[in-house]
Amino acid sequence: MPTEVILPKVDMDMTHGTLAVWHAGDGEIVAKGAPLFDIETDKAAMEVEAPATGRLTGIAAKPGEKVAVGTVVALIYAEGEVPGSAPAAPAATVPVPDHRADRVPSIQTPAETSRAAPAPTAPGVLAKDATALRATPAARSAARKAGVLLEGITGTGPLGRIQRDDVPTGLDAGPDKPLPQSWTPQPGPLNVRSRKGSGPTLVMLHGFTADSQSWAPLEKAIGSGPALIRIDLPCHGRSPLRRITGFAGLARMMVEAFDEATRDLGMVHLLGHSLGGALAIAIADIRPRRVVGLSLIAPAGLGPEIDAATLLGITRATRTESLAPWLRRLTASPDMISDSYAEAAMRARGDGAMRAAQADMADAILTDGTQTFDVQAALHRLTAPTRIIWGRQDKIIPSRHATAQRTDAAIHLLDGAGHIPQMECPERVARVIGLGGGSPL
Amino acid sequence: MTASDTKMTDNRPFAIRAYTPDELRGALKRMYLIRRFEEGAEDSYMRGLIHGTMHLSIGQEASAVATCMELTDDDKITSTHRGHGHCIAKGADVGRMFAEFFGKETGYCHGRGGSMHIADVKTGNLGANGIVGGGLPIAVGAALSAKRLGKSDVTVCFFGDGANNEGAFHESLNMASVWKLPVVFVCENNQYGMSTSIRRSTAVARISDRAAAYSMPGVTVDGNDFSAVAEAVHLANARARAGDGPSLVENLTYRWRGHSKSDRNRYRTKEEIEMWMGQDPITRFRTELIAHGITDEAGADAIEAAAVADMEAGIAFAKASPAPDVSEVTRYVYAEV
Amino acid sequence: MNAVPQDTALRTLSYAEAIREAMAIAMEADPAVILMGEDIGVYGGAFQVTLDLVDRFGPDRVMDTPISELGGAGVAVGAALTGLKPIFEFQFSDFAMLAMEQIVNQAAKLRYMLGGEASVPVVFRLPSGSGTGAAAQHSQSIEAWFGHVPGLKVLQPSTPADAKGMLLAALADPDPVMIFEHKLLYKMKGPVPAGHHLTPIGKAAVRREGSDLTIVAGSIMVHRALEAAGRLATEGISAEVVDLRSIRPIDHETILASVRKTGRLMVVYEGVKAFGVGAEISALVAESDAFDFLDAPILRLGAADAPVPYNPDLERASVPQVDSIESAARRLARREV
Ligand SMILES: Cc1ncc(C[n+]2csc(CCOP(=O)(O)OP(=O)(O)O)c2C)c(N)n1
Ligand SMILES: [Mg+2]
Repeated sequence: MPTEVILPKVDMDMTHGTLAVWHAGDGEIVAKGAPLFDIETDKAAMEVEAPATGRLTGIAAKPGEKVAVGTVVALIYAEGEVPGSAPAAPAATVPVPDHRADRVPSIQTPAETSRAAPAPTAPGVLAKDATALRATPAARSAARKAGVLLEGITGTGPLGRIQRDDVPTGLDAGPDKPLPQSWTPQPGPLNVRSRKGSGPTLVMLHGFTADSQSWAPLEKAIGSGPALIRIDLPCHGRSPLRRITGFAGLARMMVEAFDEATRDLGMVHLLGHSLGGALAIAIADIRPRRVVGLSLIAPAGLGPEIDAATLLGITRATRTESLAPWLRRLTASPDMISDSYAEAAMRARGDGAMRAAQADMADAILTDGTQTFDVQAALHRLTAPTRIIWGRQDKIIPSRHATAQRTDAAIHLLDGAGHIPQMECPERVARVIGLGGGSPL
Repeated sequence: MTASDTKMTDNRPFAIRAYTPDELRGALKRMYLIRRFEEGAEDSYMRGLIHGTMHLSIGQEASAVATCMELTDDDKITSTHRGHGHCIAKGADVGRMFAEFFGKETGYCHGRGGSMHIADVKTGNLGANGIVGGGLPIAVGAALSAKRLGKSDVTVCFFGDGANNEGAFHESLNMASVWKLPVVFVCENNQYGMSTSIRRSTAVARISDRAAAYSMPGVTVDGNDFSAVAEAVHLANARARAGDGPSLVENLTYRWRGHSKSDRNRYRTKEEIEMWMGQDPITRFRTELIAHGITDEAGADAIEAAAVADMEAGIAFAKASPAPDVSEVTRYVYAEV
Repeated sequence: MNAVPQDTALRTLSYAEAIREAMAIAMEADPAVILMGEDIGVYGGAFQVTLDLVDRFGPDRVMDTPISELGGAGVAVGAALTGLKPIFEFQFSDFAMLAMEQIVNQAAKLRYMLGGEASVPVVFRLPSGSGTGAAAQHSQSIEAWFGHVPGLKVLQPSTPADAKGMLLAALADPDPVMIFEHKLLYKMKGPVPAGHHLTPIGKAAVRREGSDLTIVAGSIMVHRALEAAGRLATEGISAEVVDLRSIRPIDHETILASVRKTGRLMVVYEGVKAFGVGAEISALVAESDAFDFLDAPILRLGAADAPVPYNPDLERASVPQVDSIESAARRLARREV
């Protein structure tokens, strides 16, 4: 008997879910526990794992289709099991809403399935279907080495095939890796900028290579409501250069700055982006009673993959020309990064010592292009309400790091956004965190 | 054919007795046509108009024409790399043959085959062959078809003296005999397989001696004597059509030219070549026809001139014909459905 | 040819002369070496490779065989099994098909079937390839067929030096070796070491270094690939040309090392593209660690899926030429495939 793959109920009041994307095609061998498809409900996105090992057959729901909970969406035949030997059509054993009766899984011959396999990507669904991604073996191996996600790379080969040259080489760049510039650690506390306001205070932690100024577009979208506390990470913005030897040390520094900055306040809401998101989780884990809620934008620390090449490219860049191409990878659409924006960003990164300190920091926490720190357990321990916001087109850290979590957190996938939705579509982010138009958190 | 071949008192040559004057003059015309065709091909080759190589049968025309004398379009022949004569004797159009030499789409093989593969399946010519001995089993197969399908057709299988040392020769004769198939094996023994004389390559003195091993009649005739060849093949055809099985006819003859266009003639003497050129089968046949009043000098000259005109018209047709389209290089590999 | 100088000086010889020199050296050195084949005596072989050797070594050691490929090759196998070292010339590689039984069932398998107790040090020489206008049965490139046969070694010299060195290496080898010589290369001249020059069996040669793509080719295709690479160099495309030399055993390491370097592979060969040398090499790369270095699909350039046609334009179009290699390599290097 084949194992039925059903659309699971993943949320209390869920009756239907939209099948977002299949991670395996009809006829492919899948392993038990491997990601099989993503579903979206009105609240969250979820990755569903294969319930058994075997050949995936009879996919009966296309990406984009809304499917009732409990519907059989495919079958998995164990090795040696002959499709067709199933005594009854699986649909007969599962109640299927009438309107879907014509979509019961059908047993297809391999010839049919091979043509049917590459399911067309529904509009608005990130094309991360393995069959849609074309990359040469050399590109794949270069990406593996550099810790770069192929999903985010635009292939210049025929049919959009990613070739080796399309893959930004990062840590293993070899001869073109600049000599590390020396820098000296600086004394003093981390830089904190505060704004008074009403209601709960929002503590904002920016991402790697950014600074507290980068919150400006989101602040504008939030309007003049809540009080804001923005902390510059060490080696970033106006904070002193410090030697970072690992994530734990960095988190301790941030907790220290957090304690200092919120000493006289009640509970606060943490807003963190990327590395700042991971730090927000760490702070909330260590100071659970100080945190009323978290908003995490593409938080780091939930999986090993990261496009370290881009981050290193940014730390290394000494001019606008070399910075702009990397910045363009941060957004869903490269056009969002104008030349003048890139120039301004380069001016903000004019300090060579700061760049060198950031490079060393990257070496400590993104060693070999990998996120060497893991805050997943901390995330799962969180008791404060948490929402995770992610750009579907994030090329730096894949959004599946969120969808793969077993967490009560709400997950918001923003279509048309990349790694920095707070800059790409600040109004939408503000709305999602409940601050659009000045409404309370 | 006339009924005169039954007259016991008539000691004129077989051919004169057996065929009408028109048939005989037609035979002379075909022999001239073969000669002029091959000379024309040789000339075109030397002018660089023809690609590859070619094997000329100049000096062997009687064997080809006399052998095919009684064959209809339903009768089959298989031929050899030295097959121009067989092809013309079986009724091919020299224009389409030249067109094939010139690699044209109008050629018998649409420019794909060239000299060594000319065939005209519609007139029963199953084709020349680039493989020595390649046609022998095919001929036996054609005879098997005729027998199974209840037809009275015969298949004449041309092959050279060199081919009689291929396994295919022995296997073919044996099967044809065992199954009593209507096939006539015609060995054109021109004394050499390329540079190797039959004396150096073949254990028997006469190739027809091999017929005994396969229990069929074997006869050796003067292959430059039109009538002698015609008579031997006539008897073999009759035996085949009567259902009595195969025969082996060996025509002793000689090729005047080298084996192919790259032969330096190191293996035979000038004297030998000249001796055989003195036995020109066309001159002998022409003389015979005049002697028996079938034609006269002027008539024979006119026949020859007609052959030359056919040859020239053929070359003109070939030159004016279109070449195959290069994009169709894989056409004819499989049936077009 | 006179006594062979025993030094290593380089002289300029043609490919045919180099092969002839190798045979003479071997025959001088070892009375067990004999030559067998059709018309290899006074005629000098269809391509004049054995020219004059019969005058030097006599007809007992330079043996004209009858036109009997199966028997002749089999006699060579039997002789090799029992102490002689025959070099058997097929007049055209196409005719090896008549001897498949002895080559594939006997020569290739005897040592193994007899548990290592027998040795068949026979050398088969096979003139092959297209470009001569000899059409479908005289123009094939069937070397890959023998690549499928364990027990055989299959070589393809592209230069006069290799033609000599491979023949002498083949004679020194205790197992059957097939050497596919290219008809169009016989007249090509090049430096040839004097004396007992050996080309290692199973070792490819990088004929031109490059960084953008690897072209693996054999026989005449090496020259076409080199010419194409020269033209591409003027556009800044750097092609590495690997002369395969040996189809069996195949030199994995040289091929894989080149692919690791360039990330792009094209295989050029004259045999029909499907199921050919290109398939083997592609699979080799796909199965190896070099796979990870591939930055484009592998390209195979082989003959059209058709027999070799007669018409010269069709014939040219049916196998890889400098132009087609150049444009395919350009597309590969420019990432258009
Ligand atoms: C199987 C095979 N072996 C060798 C050849 C090369 N070859 C072509 S013609 C020829 C001589 C054939 O001699 P023969 O059968 O007497 O015919 P002839 O050329 O004398 O008409 C040879 C050796 C061939 N075409 N096929
Ligand atoms: Mg002959």
